[in-house]
Amino acid sequence: MFQLLRLLLGFSRQINQNRNRPAHSGQTSLPTDIQPGALPVDLEDKISHLQNRMGGSSDFVIRKISSSSSAGPAIAISYIEGLVDIHRLSIIMEALVNSSRNELGDSLRAEGWIKEHLPVGSIHMLHTENHLLRSVLGGNAVLMIDGLRTAFSANIAGGARRSVEEPSSQTVIRGPKEGFTEDIAVNLALLRRKIRSPDLRLESRILGRYTQTQVTVAYIKGVANPEVVQEISSRLDSIHTDSILESGYIEEFIQDGVISPFPTLYNTERPDTVAGGLLEGLVAVFVDGTPFALIAPVTFFRFIASSEDYYQRYDISSFLRLVRFAAFFVALLLPAVFIATTTFQQEMLPTTLLITLAAQRENTPLPALMEALIMELTFDLIREAGVRMPRAVGPAISIVGALVLGQAAVQAGIVSAAMVIVVSFTAICNFVLPAINMSASIRLLRFMLMILAGNFGLFGILAGIIPILLHLTSLQSFGIPYMMPLAPFKFANFKDLFFRAPWWKMKNRPELIGKENMQRAADEPAAYAEKAVDHKRDSLK
Amino acid sequence: MSKNNIGLQALAVTFSMFQVGSTTLFFLGSQAKQDAWLAMLLGAAAGLLLLAMYLGIHHLDARYDLYELNKVYFGKIIGSIFGLAFIAYFTYEASRNLRDLSELTVATLLNRTPLSVVAAIALLVIANCVRYGPKINFLTCIALLPIMILGYGSLVVLILTTGVAHFEFMQPILENGFKPVWDAAIPEIISFPFGQAVLFLAFFSLVTDKKNLNKAMTLTYCGVAILLTLFNQLIVLVLGPELAAICTYPLLEVVQIIQMTRVFERADALFTLILFIGIGTKAILFYAGAVIGLQRIAWLKYKIWVIPLGIVIYAVSFISPTYTEFVWIGLHLTVTKVWPIFQMALPALLFVVMLLRKKKRAEGGSKSGG
Repeated sequence: MFQLLRLLLGFSRQINQNRNRPAHSGQTSLPTDIQPGALPVDLEDKISHLQNRMGGSSDFVIRKISSSSSAGPAIAISYIEGLVDIHRLSIIMEALVNSSRNELGDSLRAEGWIKEHLPVGSIHMLHTENHLLRSVLGGNAVLMIDGLRTAFSANIAGGARRSVEEPSSQTVIRGPKEGFTEDIAVNLALLRRKIRSPDLRLESRILGRYTQTQVTVAYIKGVANPEVVQEISSRLDSIHTDSILESGYIEEFIQDGVISPFPTLYNTERPDTVAGGLLEGLVAVFVDGTPFALIAPVTFFRFIASSEDYYQRYDISSFLRLVRFAAFFVALLLPAVFIATTTFQQEMLPTTLLITLAAQRENTPLPALMEALIMELTFDLIREAGVRMPRAVGPAISIVGALVLGQAAVQAGIVSAAMVIVVSFTAICNFVLPAINMSASIRLLRFMLMILAGNFGLFGILAGIIPILLHLTSLQSFGIPYMMPLAPFKFANFKDLFFRAPWWKMKNRPELIGKENMQRAADEPAAYAEKAVDHKRDSLK
Repeated sequence: MSKNNIGLQALAVTFSMFQVGSTTLFFLGSQAKQDAWLAMLLGAAAGLLLLAMYLGIHHLDARYDLYELNKVYFGKIIGSIFGLAFIAYFTYEASRNLRDLSELTVATLLNRTPLSVVAAIALLVIANCVRYGPKINFLTCIALLPIMILGYGSLVVLILTTGVAHFEFMQPILENGFKPVWDAAIPEIISFPFGQAVLFLAFFSLVTDKKNLNKAMTLTYCGVAILLTLFNQLIVLVLGPELAAICTYPLLEVVQIIQMTRVFERADALFTLILFIGIGTKAILFYAGAVIGLQRIAWLKYKIWVIPLGIVIYAVSFISPTYTEFVWIGLHLTVTKVWPIFQMALPALLFVVMLLRKKKRAEGGSKSGG
């Protein structure tokens, strides 16, 4: 069994385009004709071999079309029910049954005959049992012919799929409403529709010994930094795992190897976000089976920006971006500062506010820190319940959350009203951030800062922020400093940081991410056309 | 990209934050009373000469840092001794900053927390910063600079707009002649804060872009010197020379006098945080400079040296039993007797030796060439 898996893995490496191969994949260079597991000649043997390998799975179908002397050799077609498009399958069946198969004597003529008679776009010749199995499991129909050592695959992948819908996690008011689906082919097509350039490059590989998941790296040649593309490819190649079920697996495998609460890859459901990233020189990683694509390298500031910033008027989006920055700091610091000021630095508050707060706190049994921790944890529980609960019981949770844990808790004197306001305001600010993984890391750090503030006041908050800041400065995402362009300071990149400059002002791409082709606004449109022609010429050679 | 190199921008920003550092905590040139600004400017001008010498030392042999220069030009034994002396000096300065920071915390923010606990937390944070290496420290300074600018900038604006500044406090100029100004400036103000730039001899060799090094350092130095003079004089303008001379934390007194009604009753707690950033930066840099030295003299890894040195810094910071004595040592004893050795005598000796060697080399070169 292990032998088979190694072979499968070897094959997957063979089809990927990457030049930077790790040393262990040398076994792939075996010539195909002496590979173990070559197909037997006899059709019945082939069928029984396959049945054995699949362990008689009920969804594995082998349909034999019996021979008659006039109609040529016997053939069989095998496929997996549910992975193929029934409609196209029946067309193939019809073609096979109705036409004369006298020319199927040798492989070459057979290939010609199949390509001529079967109305299918992509047909490949298969030489080994492993290739054959992979092809069947990938949603192809495989055609086996009596007397030949080869088989043919016809791509008729289909079956039930979710259609393109509005992304549920990153909604916008203005901007495209389509989101990625679980089908990588659909996702790549959505991207192609946004960037209709021959320079958009897609490099696929198969990862996961059992799942055999297609993982595709997308970038724009001439815009993306080749070193980053190389780095991402080689990190993907070094993944050894049984399974890739979501892009989160890939993210953890390829992110820069430091323990950090901050994400160094951006995940998105939105084709326009991916396209925008690629046009800035980033690299995207698509994973089959998930609507979330990854973008890298990213800096801290990308997690504050939203794709909608680029569609709205620049003054409005600049304002919104500043609001988001403020929300970031509020979400991180507000409970901690509240605890610190009410516990240690009361003199900072205006006297009237201080009296109000003190009057409220008079009745509450717990110290501010405990109160805040309990309320924050409660809110996290409510949120978690909101994600997991069945839709039908939603209103029940909202009532419990809003009334029992809010108003009633205050009236009962268990928590102070100010604390409820602080916690809910923090929660709202947390949701303002467009990137969910960033707001999740803030949630974690907030607890740390709250504990420090409860014990050491403002001094504790500072003692918590400085290590966070140092950590952020030391982080790198695929060689790009995480706090770029603030530290190291790159003034040119400030056009799209706290404010967004109007598009006609942003003539250049952000520095250091895309080194190659900095000009964003083409001064002479002819240059692009010329380049396209060059590429065509290159590909013809 | 992960190499330990520092850009010129980061160097200039860090140098300015280093110079501001703990300086604003005290009122400098108190002997000169209302003429403190003249003393500051005089001290800064003299400090500029020192900076020029440090830059000269660096340019004579740009490959090496302070410790390597000592070793190369004084021989292994004497060079190592001098290196150790500098390490001791930097360690002591770091411990002073740690003590300043903890005393400030206990005085303003955490009245009931023991000094040792505060110092331990501060040291943990500082040591953690040093652990990342000079490059990240310098980069972080860029990220912190906006906060410093915001803090000090709003302080100046508030002082000037709320009408707490009394310009008559500056008069009469040179009431007692020039002598008090000279006495206040030399060598006290040279030694603290301006002469402390000697630390950067340990960092210059890490800078990648050396083309504009002199220009950047000199401009930064002059700008910061003027700003420091301004802040120092603001204390006089608000408090008057007599009160300024006896306050423990005169600038904090100034902040307390400013009142924005109904917004912040007292902004001094927030301003303390700004002071923390400056003092902390200084402590981190001295600490890092000492660790670089230990790494040069005894071949252990940078990160390993951070731990024992941290313990030493923590212990040394408690040598003075009271804060009054501590401040007296820092602002009166060491600045006149001890620091000039490290800031003037040793670098000058090194500079002369380097010049002689260079001359000798040049002669030798011309002889062999001819």
